[in-house]
Amino acid sequence: MFEVLQIGFFWLLQQLWRALPLFVTLAMMLVSMAPMNLMQGVVLGPDLALIAIFFWAIHGPEFLPPWAVFVVGLAQDFATGSPVGFCAVMYLFAYGFTLSQRVFFRGRTGVGVWLGFAIIAVLMAVGSWVLGTFVYARWLPPGELFGQAAVSVIFYPLLARVLLLLRRALTTAPETLRG
Amino acid sequence: MAWNRNRRRSTSGSWAVLAQNPALVIFFLIALVLLVIGRGQEALFDDARGAANDVSAVFMEVLSVPASEVNRWIAGLGSLFSTYDENQKLRQENAKLRAAQSELSELQRKVQRYEGLLKIPTDAPVTAVAARVIADTAGPFVRTVLINAGRAQDVLKGQAVVDDRGLLGRVIATGNRSSRVLLVTDLNSRIPVLIEGVNLKAILVGDNTERPVLEYLPSGSRIVAGARVVTTSDGAAFPPGIAIGIVAKGETSPRVKLFTNEGRADFVRILKYRAPIDVDEAPSGTEPPDKGDGKAKPASAQPAGALPTTNAVHAQPGRPRPL
Repeated sequence: MFEVLQIGFFWLLQQLWRALPLFVTLAMMLVSMAPMNLMQGVVLGPDLALIAIFFWAIHGPEFLPPWAVFVVGLAQDFATGSPVGFCAVMYLFAYGFTLSQRVFFRGRTGVGVWLGFAIIAVLMAVGSWVLGTFVYARWLPPGELFGQAAVSVIFYPLLARVLLLLRRALTTAPETLRG
Repeated sequence: MAWNRNRRRSTSGSWAVLAQNPALVIFFLIALVLLVIGRGQEALFDDARGAANDVSAVFMEVLSVPASEVNRWIAGLGSLFSTYDENQKLRQENAKLRAAQSELSELQRKVQRYEGLLKIPTDAPVTAVAARVIADTAGPFVRTVLINAGRAQDVLKGQAVVDDRGLLGRVIATGNRSSRVLLVTDLNSRIPVLIEGVNLKAILVGDNTERPVLEYLPSGSRIVAGARVVTTSDGAAFPPGIAIGIVAKGETSPRVKLFTNEGRADFVRILKYRAPIDVDEAPSGTEPPDKGDGKAKPASAQPAGALPTTNAVHAQPGRPRPL
C-alpha cells in the first residue's frame, strides 16, 4: 500500500514538474499584467507569453503542447478582457509557425534564434492587426502592435536565458526523480 | 539531392507540421469558433470573465505590491533631479490655489443661497467605494484595468470609476472581489459628455489613442480648444459634472486631452450613482388597456379636466445601461 502511494506521489510530482513550462508561461502572462508602467505609457510592455511560447516551440514543444498554448491564450483573453479566442488563435498561429520553422532554428546561435523571434513577433503584429480589424470591424492603429513587438524582441534574450535554465533542469529532472 | 530536398520539405514544412500535430489544428479551430461565438454573444462569457477576474485578482494583488514600489522608485528617481524646480512650481501653484479657494467658498455660499431661494432640488448624494488598481491589462486593442473591489462591495456594471484627477472609465465586468474597468480611451468606450462654456453635448469615443474623439456634435457648432469637458447624466450612466479633460485640436474632429494618466492610476473610486427618474401619473383616460387579466382598471378619482398631480416616483432604473 505504502509503495503504491509512493509511486502515485512520485508520478504526480513528475507530472507537475513536466507542467512547469505551462505554469511559468501563465506566470509570465500575469507578470506582464502587473501595473508596472516601466515604459511610462510610451509603448506597451513586452508580450511575455509570446516569448515563452516561442521558446518552448523551439526548445521543447513536448513540454508545451498545443492544448497548453490554447490554455495560455484563453487565460490571457479572460484576464485582459480581449475577445474570447483572440489571443488563443494568435498564440496557436505563432506556435504552429515556429514549429514549422523549427528545423532552421535548432542548433543556431543565440543571435540566429533572436532574429527568428523578431520575425515571429512582426508576423504576430501583422496577424493580430488583420484579425483585430476583422473582429472589431474598424480601422485600428497598427503602431502600438509594432511597438509592442519591438519591446518583446528587446526583452527576448534576457528571458530566454532564464527559460533555458528551466529547460536544462527539465531534461535532467526525471532521472533525478526516479533515482 | 533533389530527393533529399523534397524529403526535408515534407517533414518540416507548414503542412507537415499540421499533419503531425492534429491537436494544433483542433485547438486552433476551437479558438476560432470561440472567437466567432464570443463576438456574436458577448454576454455568454460574462460570468466566466467575472470568475477569471477573481482568480487572477488573487495573484495580481500579490504582484501589484512590488509593481507599485517599482513605480514609486521610478517616479522618485525622475523627481530627484527636478526637486528645486518642482518646489518653486508648487509654491506658485499653492499661492494661486489659496486665492482661488476663498473665491470658491464665496461662490459656494452664493449658489447655496440662490438654490434655497429658487427651491432647486439638490442632486442625490453619490457614494463611492475606494479600490486599488491591481492589474493594467492595456493591450493593442484593449484598454482595461483590474481593481480589487467587486460585487461584495456593491460594485455594479456600468458604474463610473474616477481617480484624483477625473474620470478613468466605467465598470464592464464584476467578479466577487474584483472588477474590470473599461478605460475612456478603449475602442469600445462611449461616454455622453458636456462641453462647458458652450453647453454642447457630444459623445466621447475612445479609439485606443491617448486622446479620445468628440463625436455627434451638432453641425456648425463652434468650440474653443481648452474648454472643459465633463460628464452628463444623459443615459443615467454617470453622475453629471465629473471632469474628463479639455478640448484639443484634432486632425479631422476635435479630441479631448484627458486629465487622468491611465498608466499612473493607482487608487480609484467607484461612484455609486443612480439617476432618479421622475415618472408622472398619466392623465385619466389615456392609460393603456390592461392586457394582464382583461379587466378594466377603476377610473381615476380625479375630476375630469383637472391637472394631473405629479407623483414623483423614483424609479430604480436598475443597472445603468451600458452605452
